[in-house]
Amino acid sequence: MTRPRACAATGVAAGLAAHLGWPVALVRAAFVVTSFAWGAGLLLYLWLWALTPWDEGDARPTRRAPVAWLLVVASTVVLVAVWTQSGQWYFTAAASWWQWYAATYVGIGLAVAASAWATLIDRPDPARGPRHELVIRSIATVVLAATALELVFVVNPEANGRMSAVAVFVAALAAVLGILLVYVPTLIAKWRELTDERTKRIREEQRSEIAAHLHDSVLQTLALIQNRAGATSEVARIARAQERELRDWLFAGDAPADSDLGTDLRGFAADLEIDFPVTVDVVVVGEQRERASGELAAAAREAMLNAARHAGGEISVYVESTPAAVEVFVRDRGPGFALAEVPDDRLGVRQSIIGRMRRAGGSATVVPGAGGVGTEVRLRFPGERGFPGERNGAEALHG
Amino acid sequence: MAERVRVVVVDDHSIFRSGLKADLDDSVEVVGEAHDVESAVAIVTDAAPEVVLLDVHLPGTAVPAGSTGGAEVIRRSAPAVPGTRFLALSVSDKAEDVVGVIRAGARGYITKGSSGADVSRAVHAVASGDAVFSPKLAGFVLDAFGAAVGETAQASDELDRLSAREQEVMRLIARGYAYKEVAAELYISTKTVETHVSAVLRKLQLSSRHELTAWANARRLL
Repeated sequence: MTRPRACAATGVAAGLAAHLGWPVALVRAAFVVTSFAWGAGLLLYLWLWALTPWDEGDARPTRRAPVAWLLVVASTVVLVAVWTQSGQWYFTAAASWWQWYAATYVGIGLAVAASAWATLIDRPDPARGPRHELVIRSIATVVLAATALELVFVVNPEANGRMSAVAVFVAALAAVLGILLVYVPTLIAKWRELTDERTKRIREEQRSEIAAHLHDSVLQTLALIQNRAGATSEVARIARAQERELRDWLFAGDAPADSDLGTDLRGFAADLEIDFPVTVDVVVVGEQRERASGELAAAAREAMLNAARHAGGEISVYVESTPAAVEVFVRDRGPGFALAEVPDDRLGVRQSIIGRMRRAGGSATVVPGAGGVGTEVRLRFPGERGFPGERNGAEALHG
Repeated sequence: MAERVRVVVVDDHSIFRSGLKADLDDSVEVVGEAHDVESAVAIVTDAAPEVVLLDVHLPGTAVPAGSTGGAEVIRRSAPAVPGTRFLALSVSDKAEDVVGVIRAGARGYITKGSSGADVSRAVHAVASGDAVFSPKLAGFVLDAFGAAVGETAQASDELDRLSAREQEVMRLIARGYAYKEVAAELYISTKTVETHVSAVLRKLQLSSRHELTAWANARRLL
């Protein structure tokens, strides 16, 4: 048995009706009738309310009946009756004075119940919310305050010998206590919020502590593994990839979310290190205006892939953005190759790097690395304020 | 490298210390080890080694906020041993840590991922008075001194900007060139490259350029 999430007041009657296959009206009537038998129906209702779960789902329960309003109106009616009738109650001997007290306490109880319902049950309800809660609470407060004042200043127990001053004072005290109770749910909510915040802070502290610890211990060990295993071994590659992942996690939030050229090439370098026995050092200088989707990025990736595939070992990637141009240097220390010797049908270098850069208005050169070791690919793309003709393509003659 | 360079290794992880010791080649002699700021200061002042291999992050009491254990070791022990040079060795790529320890007086910075041969070479370089820059540190220097936006020092004694030649040297180092290769590329001697690098290191230590501190805090070096 479950309670429907969109219900009249609590969903108990509807849930029970669905469970038994009875009409809802019959179930409601049964609750009311059996309540007269020493409150059996009411007790069963409360028991079911407390123990029956909601229907499965994510929607927040919403209620059709304005229960808080009904309670606050009932409370107002009862208490206003108490004020206006108190004069007569003194003198009508037939009405016993305990009825007057009972009415007062019931009214106070209803006001407290109304605000409790508004705070605890209606507040998360998407159809009502905090504004509704504030209104209900204000009305309950006003009604209770008026009752307390009336009891203290208007009712004159001396005029009626059957009412003790003490009893009236206790009733007034109850009204004041009622006002306090109206605000207890808010205080509880506030307190809960405060505890939540503290828990969050502690968790955050713990996280940074763990981060610091990992930084000091695990990263060190990963560095050591890379050291001992040799830069190109399988173990070192895995350790390096792991180090990158851990580092990304530790400093999550530091890096800008949008992908610029430098960020993109770093990510690509990390992927290369997993797929090939290489270590790639990416250094980025200057403000990154170039987008990761551009031709330059594609050419740079191709150059890095070439270096990883054919040279291996250590690869240095340097990205520099100046107002005049964006340049990318990819340098490896492999056997090197002469562009002229590459067969024409090999599209990698000729098409993906040099052709692509030329079409996009930049330039690319492939030269032997410094000291004749390895290969260096230089990519250059004029910036927005690029100077026309300035060294564009001129580098192709170099080396 | 006829004579062995005397080195003290400071790192709070014994596993890393022993690993590093095993990796260093024969030209380097480890004369002491320390695991925190206090013991490091005591051993460095006592042994007076030529080079201290110093972890940036070290535990220790009374390390002021905003500083690191490594920087603190340099600050406390350097006055007592003027002949000793410090080489920072870290897994941290955070610019604030790196710049902090360089500005405290370290003669160079290398990552812990470097091989034993690399570390040994760096130890010799530092011992002979040179500065050791990793490509990442060179990249950061170019960034912090505004080289990418075209700021160039006009006078040689200017601390807040790099000269055109220094920028070229830094660029090549950032591109992964060794000093020898930089020298060949620029048609200068290796000694001249070392002079330029030392000049950059001096600027890095003495400059009041606000990027050096502000940028270091705002972004990490990677």
